[in-house]
Amino acid sequence: MLKKKKEDIVPQKYTKATLVTQILMGIVALLFLLPVFIIFSYSFKSKKELYLGSPLALPESFNLANYEAAFKKLNLSVTMFNTFFYTVVSVLILALLCGMTAWAIARCKHKFFKFAYIYFIIGILIPYQALFLPIYMVGNSLKLTNTRYGIIFMYVATGISFGIFLMNSFMSTVPLELEESARIDGCSVFKTYFLIVMPLLKPAMATLVIMQSFQIWNDYLLASLYVSKKQLKTLTVAIQSLFSAQASDYNTAMAAIVISVVPIAILFISLQKYFIKGMTVGAVKG
Amino acid sequence: MKSKSKVSQTMLRQYFILVIPGFVIFTIGIIVPMILAFRYSFTSWDGMSAEKTFVGLKNYIKLINDQEVRDAWWFTIKFTIGNTVIQNILALLFAVALDSGIKAQKIYRTAFFIPCLISSIIVGFIWLRMYSNVLPAINDALGTSINFLLFGEADTVLGGLLIANNWQWIGYWMLIYLAGLQSIPGELYEAAKVDGAGPIKRFFNVTVPMLAPSFTICIVGITTGSLKVYDLLVSSTKGGPGRASTSIIYQTYTTAINGRQYGYGSAMSVSLVLVLLLVALIQVRSLKNKEVQA
Repeated sequence: MLKKKKEDIVPQKYTKATLVTQILMGIVALLFLLPVFIIFSYSFKSKKELYLGSPLALPESFNLANYEAAFKKLNLSVTMFNTFFYTVVSVLILALLCGMTAWAIARCKHKFFKFAYIYFIIGILIPYQALFLPIYMVGNSLKLTNTRYGIIFMYVATGISFGIFLMNSFMSTVPLELEESARIDGCSVFKTYFLIVMPLLKPAMATLVIMQSFQIWNDYLLASLYVSKKQLKTLTVAIQSLFSAQASDYNTAMAAIVISVVPIAILFISLQKYFIKGMTVGAVKG
Repeated sequence: MKSKSKVSQTMLRQYFILVIPGFVIFTIGIIVPMILAFRYSFTSWDGMSAEKTFVGLKNYIKLINDQEVRDAWWFTIKFTIGNTVIQNILALLFAVALDSGIKAQKIYRTAFFIPCLISSIIVGFIWLRMYSNVLPAINDALGTSINFLLFGEADTVLGGLLIANNWQWIGYWMLIYLAGLQSIPGELYEAAKVDGAGPIKRFFNVTVPMLAPSFTICIVGITTGSLKVYDLLVSSTKGGPGRASTSIIYQTYTTAINGRQYGYGSAMSVSLVLVLLLVALIQVRSLKNKEVQA
């Protein structure tokens, strides 16, 4: 809305300078997309083209042999399912937990809740990667490693800080009058949250779900530490072993990259609006 | 809000119940490991045996004198400073360019954003292939002899990784600056214009101060993101050539998981946590001060 206001007041003319910017940024954008183009191009190339053809040339035909090979080598039906399963379950738990935690923190003025907010924020300042070693050790002693619930537990624990921060910034959009009238009608705190507040937080939860899906889908370090069993592995871990095993035959790896990026790219392009909202929390002066 | 200052006991208890699950999960998943790392950092534990011998400050003294750790810190610091400077400048530049009224802004935005949808592990591999297989073909085509094998030598590996990391993340931070720019009310520019401020003056006196919250987010975000670099290295340089691109997390991984020195590795983790907290604190504090002035 603010954007519109700006355009109304200062109509931006398309001057020569704008044209120059347009062309310059066009070139930069093309350079940015070059690696993406190369990946697609390689993913269709045959072995012969890989060794003899120019890397910059287009593939001779759209052969899908690399995709078939990648499908098998990644054990795709298993790894894709695992990644999908861990991501979906973790983000749903996160949406549920972060919503109610952030709401309680925002509404209850007791000292404990102020402390709790700061306590959770520690997790934003210290990314889990810095703690990967003790996280791995705790996982081992609590028997969380090589289990589905173990890695989901850790994804929830590592994502909860940002989730609460994000949901907290949306709390001002929930009108207090509604909550108060619910209370006067005799609703408990739980009823007020689950029946009145949670439905209003849907857009915020959508933002949270998208932001976290993207994190968890792309995670490597935690997955590599927590799930080493073949039937529990994630896509990123399988891809990394493919990278090191297929050092020379990398067009299979390129096909694997396309396979792993496409789902998350589709998610982003269809839900851009929510994604950008989540990213820019705190960046725009309220 | 004030009408609810007298929260009854029952309600308080119910609020507690809403917070407890998240609190417990976070404590077990993040806080307990942090405390354990601190505890183990005073032992010589190998990760397997039941015995954890207390060795006092030995690990920390070793940490300070360990050349490998020093090198790892030095690489991590160079990588972090490089990223923070380059990524902020380019992201802001791109955002300003996109906001200057060019056509098809959305297409540009998506083009710059695509790389950050890709996992770092994949980005590392893509650039490994770009440098060693794809880009040298430009030399063949143009008859030039530019050295594209950036991951091959200790002198160029940092530059190569900076290119890869910036390629991945510029679009992300650009979007944050773009949202910041678009939230600046046009009246401010009008007023500055009336006062006779040129475009450059307007940029530094209106745009930059109004972007203060975006600066805070981007600077802190890029710094923390670069200090934890690991995935990118696994699939590209593996910390090499030699140890030229071994980051502090990479070094911790090699020491603890491969070298079975959990106690010493824990000391490295603790040092990284302290650095992260310190840097975030300093940055947030000084940047927030600027925000207030603005």
